[in-house]
Amino acid sequence: MKKRDTGSSTQGGRQYWRSLDHFVGSAEYNELVQREFPEGTLELGQKLDRRKFLNLMGASLALAGLTSCRRPVEKIIPYSVAPESIIPGIPKHFATSMPFGHDAFGLVVESHEGRPTKIEGNPQHPSTLGSASAQIQAEILNLYDPDRSQVVLRGDLPFRWADFVHHWRGLREDHLTDKGARLAILSGAVNGPTEQRLVAEFMIQFPQAIWATWEPVNDDNILQGMFEAYGNRLLPEARFDRAQRILSLDDDFLNTGTAALRNSRLFAARRRNIDPVKHMNRLFVVESGYSLTGAMADHRLAIPASQIGPFLAALTMRLKKQGLDLPVIPDGEISTHFDDHFLDALTKDLLSNIDGSLIKVGRSQPPAVHTLAAAVNEGLSRGHGISTLKYIHDSKSSIPASDHLLSLTESLREGKIDTLILLGSNPVYTAPAELKFAELLSSVPNTIHVGSHRDESGQQCHWHIPTAHFLECWGDTSSLNGTLAITQPLIKPLFGSKSKIELINLLVTGVEKTGYELVRESWRKRLKGESFDKAWRRVVHDGVFPESAVKSYSVELRPDAVKEAFSKCAQPPDHGLEIYFQPSASLYDGRYANNGWLQENPDPMTKLTWDNAALVSPETAQKLGVKNEDIIAISHHDATVELPVWIQPGLASDTIVLELGYGRRNLGRIAQGSGTDVYPLRRSDGLYFASEVKVAVTGRKGKLACTQDHHGLDEEQLARQAIQDRLPMIVREATLSEYTKHPNFARERVEHPPLESLFEEQNYDEGYQWGMAIDLNVCTGCSACSIACQSENNIPVVGKEEVSRGREMHWIRLDRYFSGSQEDPEVVFQPVGCQHCENAPCEGVCPVAATVHDEEGLNTMVYNRCIGTRYCANNCPYKVRRFNFFNYTKELPEIVQMAMNPDVTMRFRGVMEKCTYCVQRISRSKIVAKNEGRELKDGDVVSACQQTCPTDAIVFGNLNDPDSKVSQLKMQNLNYELLAELNVQPRTSYLAKLRNPFEEMKTSAKSENKHHDH
Amino acid sequence: MTINPGHPQRDSAHVAASGALNPPLISGGHGFHSITEKISGIVEGPAPKGWVIVFSAALSLTFLLIGLIGYLVWEGTGVWGLNNPVGWGWAIVNFVFWVGIGHAGTLISAVLFLFRQKWRTSINRFAEAMTLFAVICALVFPTIHVGRIWLLYYIFPVPNQMDMWPNFRSPLLWDVFAVTIYFTVSLLFWYTGLIPDLASLRDRAKTRARQLIFGILSLGWRGGNRHWQNYELAYLLLAGLATPLVLSVHSVVSTDFATSVIPGWHTTIFPPYFVAGAIFSGFAMVMTLAIIAREIFGIRDFITDNHLDKMSKIMLVTGMMVGYAYAMEFFVAWYSGNSYEAFTFINRAIGPYAWAYWIMVSCNVLIPQLYWFRKVRQNVKILFVTSILVNVGMWFERFVITVTSLSRDFLPSSWDYYSPTWVDIFTFVGTFGLFFTFFLVFLRFLPMVSIAEVKGVLPEANPHHHPSHGETEL
Repeated sequence: MKKRDTGSSTQGGRQYWRSLDHFVGSAEYNELVQREFPEGTLELGQKLDRRKFLNLMGASLALAGLTSCRRPVEKIIPYSVAPESIIPGIPKHFATSMPFGHDAFGLVVESHEGRPTKIEGNPQHPSTLGSASAQIQAEILNLYDPDRSQVVLRGDLPFRWADFVHHWRGLREDHLTDKGARLAILSGAVNGPTEQRLVAEFMIQFPQAIWATWEPVNDDNILQGMFEAYGNRLLPEARFDRAQRILSLDDDFLNTGTAALRNSRLFAARRRNIDPVKHMNRLFVVESGYSLTGAMADHRLAIPASQIGPFLAALTMRLKKQGLDLPVIPDGEISTHFDDHFLDALTKDLLSNIDGSLIKVGRSQPPAVHTLAAAVNEGLSRGHGISTLKYIHDSKSSIPASDHLLSLTESLREGKIDTLILLGSNPVYTAPAELKFAELLSSVPNTIHVGSHRDESGQQCHWHIPTAHFLECWGDTSSLNGTLAITQPLIKPLFGSKSKIELINLLVTGVEKTGYELVRESWRKRLKGESFDKAWRRVVHDGVFPESAVKSYSVELRPDAVKEAFSKCAQPPDHGLEIYFQPSASLYDGRYANNGWLQENPDPMTKLTWDNAALVSPETAQKLGVKNEDIIAISHHDATVELPVWIQPGLASDTIVLELGYGRRNLGRIAQGSGTDVYPLRRSDGLYFASEVKVAVTGRKGKLACTQDHHGLDEEQLARQAIQDRLPMIVREATLSEYTKHPNFARERVEHPPLESLFEEQNYDEGYQWGMAIDLNVCTGCSACSIACQSENNIPVVGKEEVSRGREMHWIRLDRYFSGSQEDPEVVFQPVGCQHCENAPCEGVCPVAATVHDEEGLNTMVYNRCIGTRYCANNCPYKVRRFNFFNYTKELPEIVQMAMNPDVTMRFRGVMEKCTYCVQRISRSKIVAKNEGRELKDGDVVSACQQTCPTDAIVFGNLNDPDSKVSQLKMQNLNYELLAELNVQPRTSYLAKLRNPFEEMKTSAKSENKHHDH
Repeated sequence: MTINPGHPQRDSAHVAASGALNPPLISGGHGFHSITEKISGIVEGPAPKGWVIVFSAALSLTFLLIGLIGYLVWEGTGVWGLNNPVGWGWAIVNFVFWVGIGHAGTLISAVLFLFRQKWRTSINRFAEAMTLFAVICALVFPTIHVGRIWLLYYIFPVPNQMDMWPNFRSPLLWDVFAVTIYFTVSLLFWYTGLIPDLASLRDRAKTRARQLIFGILSLGWRGGNRHWQNYELAYLLLAGLATPLVLSVHSVVSTDFATSVIPGWHTTIFPPYFVAGAIFSGFAMVMTLAIIAREIFGIRDFITDNHLDKMSKIMLVTGMMVGYAYAMEFFVAWYSGNSYEAFTFINRAIGPYAWAYWIMVSCNVLIPQLYWFRKVRQNVKILFVTSILVNVGMWFERFVITVTSLSRDFLPSSWDYYSPTWVDIFTFVGTFGLFFTFFLVFLRFLPMVSIAEVKGVLPEANPHHHPSHGETEL
């Protein structure tokens, strides 16, 4: 998929051997040899049922005649007994849920004839509220990942599952004798009642054993901070729908932070322009990187991560001075070098909205900052009735903690452990560097790795057991606020793998049991009242068990702890260069590294694909003497990592931001060669940021593939000036007060002569007229829409080489623009897909009429007719058309083809493609409406991007219906059309962006400069 | 072959009288017979060594072109350097470049014929041939640049199972018509002019094969009065038909750009600007080729310094027109008040493609200024170098128009830099191979100078004792 092959195809007619690749030992071939039988044939131990038998016989007959025809003939075998619920061509939707760390997402998955193709959020689930992030949606590719491990391995040799079961039974007997004293398990977060039950049973069976949990990106700091503040294991849940003033301290709560989807929805509710003057919240962000939350900020301050504590201490003192009730905080003032103006204004604004203020601290900050923030939050809104925070008690200690890992490694080092089982955990890649986990692992006599891929740890273990994807198995999950949900399989395990709970059950009992039985067992006592089966069916159907949500937990602050936290925070940190680790916006901690969609999904801020980079501010880059793509060597303690630099305006100075998750070793064909592993720099005393860093310039260059800013801010003055001149017209933006003064600013921003046509234009007054409105005010730039579109419309992944040539295929892209100064820029995002112009410039120029308008206002693309002159793309002022320069899907492994949406054509090379407004969804809804004998109503047709948008920024619908949501939005005075002055009459319009800066902050020189062109 | 040195200078008084202002069109004291001998001799004699060498080189490049086209069709358009904002790159630049070159032939044959510019007779034949071959090279590019070449027939208005016309609103379709018509008329025009000479070759043929081939090609020409009358009428009509085509082809090609909405393309100045540029580049190419042919085949008497002088004057004029257009583009961009437009032109001059822009300006505006000087116009070496430079400049003009406009249009998020791949470069080089292969075959097997017409401009042909003849000859 990533690399194009130049020749061989298995399509031709007489092929007595199957291309040279197979002789020179491609990965697939080796695997084939290893497997003895090709994919899809029966593995030993699988039951041969009648349908499978017929399938195989049919296929064999078809294959027998294959050499004589030009293209392979595929026989379609009809159902002899059709499953009751399946109508071919009509997709079914099933609710399920996906565990993610200690959180979980409720999902609705579309299935075509038993083949899951698209993941959407479950509107009833509190974590998703109907949306799905880019990563969640890309799980569909993880399911069909051809690089997933497919057989049990001992060493490099394939074994049968039964062999492992036998092996474990022997081991289990041994370990039972000393109650598991020499047995250890390292797993990821333990999520869901069944897993928790089984872990508890494990501890009963093996009381002496160690069960450690480790997640490389975790909320330990938050938990520990809360523990110190309140003496209990608590997780704060922010109520953004109530918060009027939000201060985020290094917390990317809208994108990579915990509960980001839910936060986005609730945050947007107070951001949206319904009654902005009354409702609009104000967001202050103090951070060291530049997160999407920072981009949404009304005021942002970039300081190194180590200074966040002192900043909060300084703020606390000011708040107290201004009369906030914080008895434990000492009076007085500490001298800081922070922007006094910023602090003063922030203090004032928080206090004047005391009952709606909220301070959010990110997981990167040490516990003391969380403790102190909790105390300040008590003084602010929590002490004033309307609470913007609620605390959830984590009674099950399901949340991984770093100290577990530390005690495990201690035991390993002392040689106390004979058997180590890595249960979905990859410590060789993710564990803190100083633990040297790879060395420890090799000293353990018996190691078993359980995971979806034979990853860095799996490659070192004696046994490797593949696990099933969550879409393949039964399970259950528990989300952040305790809401339980069932994980329902959408398909039988593709490689016959076992699920995690089935494995744990085997570990505990030595007996095999199906996941279905295990989950039902756990739920039997939970579902009371009605008959179990009935209740069970309801929970499975709904995908959520809302009764399980944990009620708010009342807490009491411990003054001593706060005092101590304050003094810790107030200590000035070391000065000097800092490294700051953040999970990749695409690959997270590395778990999505073998996912093509996510690798190619541009980072929202840097717009880099396929790579991570050392992000530095322009100022730091100058200090280091580096330019974009210069490779630097970063040394921290005894480790050195080399990676290319990318200059990112708006970062804190003296900070190098490093993204986790790249540089995987032999994980799979997508992950191979993408980015650099920065985990070697990450130690347990500096999981998120660390000082004592040395940087050396190597003088080499590393090519990065960026989808925007090929000529951006760091380029010549001419381009920079042009962008700044155009920006006010492209992304129309104003402050709330400017908007109150000039409510029509968005429409009046661009002056142009009356737009008249020489011809009599097509009349679009009748029938459905499709249109879209995108609210820039709430768009966070998270790219979920882009992946939704990719999944819905079978958009190919083209690879780093092609992206760096400027040939990425995304139908909807997120334009990111900086404005203002390089040191303190503001960022705006603008999703741009085909605008479906009524006066489309692309249509007139196509010599073969391959792109034409339909009577419902869609600018349609007729792939069969397209000969690929690319004239339409040239003439598109929005540059949203995408050309298939190569046959990008030629090498798509068969299994990945299962992820494709059968309602959307695959495009051949030489053909132009672009956003269709999800015409297949329009047609499907029309058929449904017609069968029901009614007209379409608003909300029947939901485009893929609209469906998944976590902030509901995208609205699609019928423009001829004055009551439709989209018509209502277009009537708003913030509505404007991009490049309307060209008289192309786009059907997509934008709602202008509003910021809500604090008036008193504006008097500072910096801010004045920032807003000069608004 | 050498000219008979003992041949007496004829009508030396006439030469002396007009020489001061208009030197004779044919020098070297040629008469009717020696002209036929000289020109036909080239075709009938053995191939000069230089020809063999150049032809081998050209043929190799042609094979390179064929190979690269095969590679392109096999792999896809991605082997070129195109990207998302820049959907048209070298292929379209080369197309416009070659079509432009193809202009001089028709202009020299038809327009100068109608204006009775007799000096055209020495160069019109190979200028026309050059036109045909340039148009063939040009047609290669729109053919191969499409993504699915096997469906190219969709573009022609032929009956088909889809019952579908092409889109007549698309300038690309106009291109198809304009260029094919131009090619057809040019071919007819060229062939018509060849008929008397083909008959001469037939009459001189010593082998059966030559007799047959030239016999068929000369369509039974016997040189009778009636033949000449019909011939000259046909030639006149074709000249009349071809003349508007000189204007239409490149005007239509320019609408590919002018009808779009892209700043830098969307401008009404394009049709005349393109036509002037095309004539400019076409004459530069004729000059380059004429100088080469003069040297290889020793025909300085037919293509005299006087001819070169006249061509440089035309280049001076058209070069100034092009320069004026460059200036006007800037003026209009400013005067229109359209900020996108203004940026496009400033970006051309000082943006990432400034190097291309300034190559264009130096070669197309500054270099022709040398032609003000008679000494330059008489210096073959300088003319040779500058004529090549002019074509370099004209290629860059098309590059600047096509690529810079696309690489930075409306939304800065989509801006991207375009650079060609090796396939782009060698495909272009390959078309030179194709061009020269055709051209060298032409030089070798057909009379490169119109024997019949050149005789008409000899002093002997001055019809002072045949008053009626002059009117029909035109």
